[in-house]
Amino acid sequence: MAPLNPYTYIQCPCSDSASLGRPSDPTSPASADGDEEDNTFDPRAPRANFSLYPLEYLLYCEDCHQIRCPRCIAEEIATYFCPSCLFEVPSSNLKSEGNRCTRSCFQCPICIGPLSVTSIEMPPSDPNLLAPDRAATPHTTYSLICSYCNWSSTEIGIQFDKPNSIHAQLAKIRNGGASRLTAKERKERRKELSHRGGEAAAAAASEAAAGQDVDLETQFANLKLFYTSQLADPNAGDTGFSSLGDLGFSSPSSLSRIMNLYTGGKLHDPRAKSKLGAMREAVTADEGLLEADLDESSLIAQLHQSDFLDTASSTQICSQPPNLGEPHLHGAVRFNSSLRPVPYLLRTKRSKRCPACRHIVSKPEAKVLTTRFRIRLVAGSYIPSISIRRLNLPGPNGPAAPAILGDLLEPLKPVHFVLTFKNPIFESLKVTLGAPAKTPGRFPSKVTVLCPQFDIDANTDVWDEALKDNDRESSSRSRRRAGTESQFQVEVGKIWERGRNWVSIIVEIVPASLKLEAGQDALREDEDVLEIPMFVRIEWEVENGGEDAASGPGRDKDQQEKRELAYWCVLGLGRIKQG
Amino acid sequence: MSSKRHSILPAVSAGPKPPVHFSSSITIADSALLTGTNLITISSESVIHPRAKLDSLAGRITIGRRCVVHERTMLGAIGTSGKVTEQAVTLGDYVTVEVAASIEAGNTIIGEGTTIGVGSKIGAGAVIGKHCTLTPHTEIPAGEVVPDFTVIYSNGMRRIDKRGVADLKNKGQARQIEVLRRMIPTNPAKFA
Repeated sequence: MAPLNPYTYIQCPCSDSASLGRPSDPTSPASADGDEEDNTFDPRAPRANFSLYPLEYLLYCEDCHQIRCPRCIAEEIATYFCPSCLFEVPSSNLKSEGNRCTRSCFQCPICIGPLSVTSIEMPPSDPNLLAPDRAATPHTTYSLICSYCNWSSTEIGIQFDKPNSIHAQLAKIRNGGASRLTAKERKERRKELSHRGGEAAAAAASEAAAGQDVDLETQFANLKLFYTSQLADPNAGDTGFSSLGDLGFSSPSSLSRIMNLYTGGKLHDPRAKSKLGAMREAVTADEGLLEADLDESSLIAQLHQSDFLDTASSTQICSQPPNLGEPHLHGAVRFNSSLRPVPYLLRTKRSKRCPACRHIVSKPEAKVLTTRFRIRLVAGSYIPSISIRRLNLPGPNGPAAPAILGDLLEPLKPVHFVLTFKNPIFESLKVTLGAPAKTPGRFPSKVTVLCPQFDIDANTDVWDEALKDNDRESSSRSRRRAGTESQFQVEVGKIWERGRNWVSIIVEIVPASLKLEAGQDALREDEDVLEIPMFVRIEWEVENGGEDAASGPGRDKDQQEKRELAYWCVLGLGRIKQG
Repeated sequence: MSSKRHSILPAVSAGPKPPVHFSSSITIADSALLTGTNLITISSESVIHPRAKLDSLAGRITIGRRCVVHERTMLGAIGTSGKVTEQAVTLGDYVTVEVAASIEAGNTIIGEGTTIGVGSKIGAGAVIGKHCTLTPHTEIPAGEVVPDFTVIYSNGMRRIDKRGVADLKNKGQARQIEVLRRMIPTNPAKFA
């Protein structure tokens, strides 16, 4: 069995939707069946898995004085950047150019390693050929090469003239080296032709368009153009306002007409129907019609000849961006040899807000290269951290064996664990613990917290503590030393050890026996892990002096405001030995 | 041998001194480990880094021209089969064996221009083709035949390298060897 290191998970109050936004007001933890409406928190419940987080994952909202978890926090995007070139992309570019890097950062389609632009040296020209112009410089071409799996873009027939702005060059090349026109270029050509004027020019243009292969981008553009023109026509001569502009479907007259169609009944305008009926579908390639070519025999023949590993896997296909150079569906990638380089997806730096009060809880610096934070309110600086270690007391047989981390627990034999609570804040805390006497689940273990209520001192400076230490040397030292005499005294109601800002207490567990009765299901995964739910309630006093400057008269001294926070946590202690 | 040891690794025990046939232009470091009973042949301009281990107990070791054998490699390791053959390990020309790679004995042949990645393990009797690339920590089972120009990457995945850069790689290797010759003090007389 895999050894288990002890862990602490904390439940975020957001799973209790009613308590979001207001400080939780727990019932007395001395009654083991804690929380307001619910029963004791069951860490084995299926929903519990989604609300438990280690302390490092939790944030804290200072206004609400509540824990926030990654599930309930509201995120906002601060910056977008490419993870490969670390270039910050302004969010306005995202709408126009998409959420991928538009410079030269690409991933190998085969092994997702980074592609680097390398120059391909042209072989020296054949000296037998008579070259009239010997002074012609050799034209270096570039290609993308993967340094891990040695894939090269020359395998799909793509080479580049310049080593930068590969994304733009790639948009103009199809697999195999043939060039294609991008949307911008097509628009410009169309404009040019329309400027030259005349029916003949327009006819020639449409013929030329029909002759070319219609790729995904052009088909979409043609279709969109066609449909906008279709939508414009029915409104012509509607109420005479069409001369003012191409209002299309959003003009107020057409809107009211449409609404009458739905709500009116007898009230609708009999003219309206005939107007709408003037729309038609696209019939030519120029308008966006693409005839399906259902003959896939060449592809099937190729499939017969190729290996299974020559076909692209589903992850490879899904990670390919849409190939604008190929017709829709017919350009569907089937083989490894037609995979194109994948531009990197942009990543984000996000700032997090409390969902209730909109207070910013975490805000990174906008600059991509700095990993610092402007604001960072993590739970680790507000709630005490719990560390667990096993305590081996000397039994009647002799001296204590050293505690081995992750050792299996013997069923039905009492074990002791030392829980150390460390206080991160600058005020002293009063901690009250509550744990159910029996752990929930099929094999309940007995749990006894020997000291459920204690105080932890404030997290003052080490130097202050050292100065104070000189005053009360002997009395504190005997308390602090984990000497031999305290090892044997596991007393109820007394803490185990105390330090500058931490307190250790003992928890006694009698693990359950994992023997299965007849008719019971077999042991489920991780059912032998001993987990105890514990309700932690902390109270502390805060000086309210500096906060409200505009408070009324009568506040000359600092008011001590009592604050409290309560939450469930789950302590995973170890695995119980089976059999 | 100096009495002061700085390394935390266990001391390497010296074995029998093997018969060697070195070309005059090789670079072999002083702390390379050559043990065994059979002939070890190293052809012209090859480089053997410090602490490379060549063990010819299970057969001869032949290293081709312009090869580079890095540190902590083990050529001629006796694998689980433990068979002894005439020729333990053969490296073609321009082969690079990276750090901590291990090539087992037993008629193992590495083709010309192949790069054996860091930490790879080649089983006994494997035949690796020419100009292959084995990415770091690949394991080739015993007796496996790898065709020419194969790239073995990820978890045993294979593909054919179509870059066509074999000549360029050889030229690059030659230039690298020129630099290494100046950096590694050679002492072939120690092993003769």
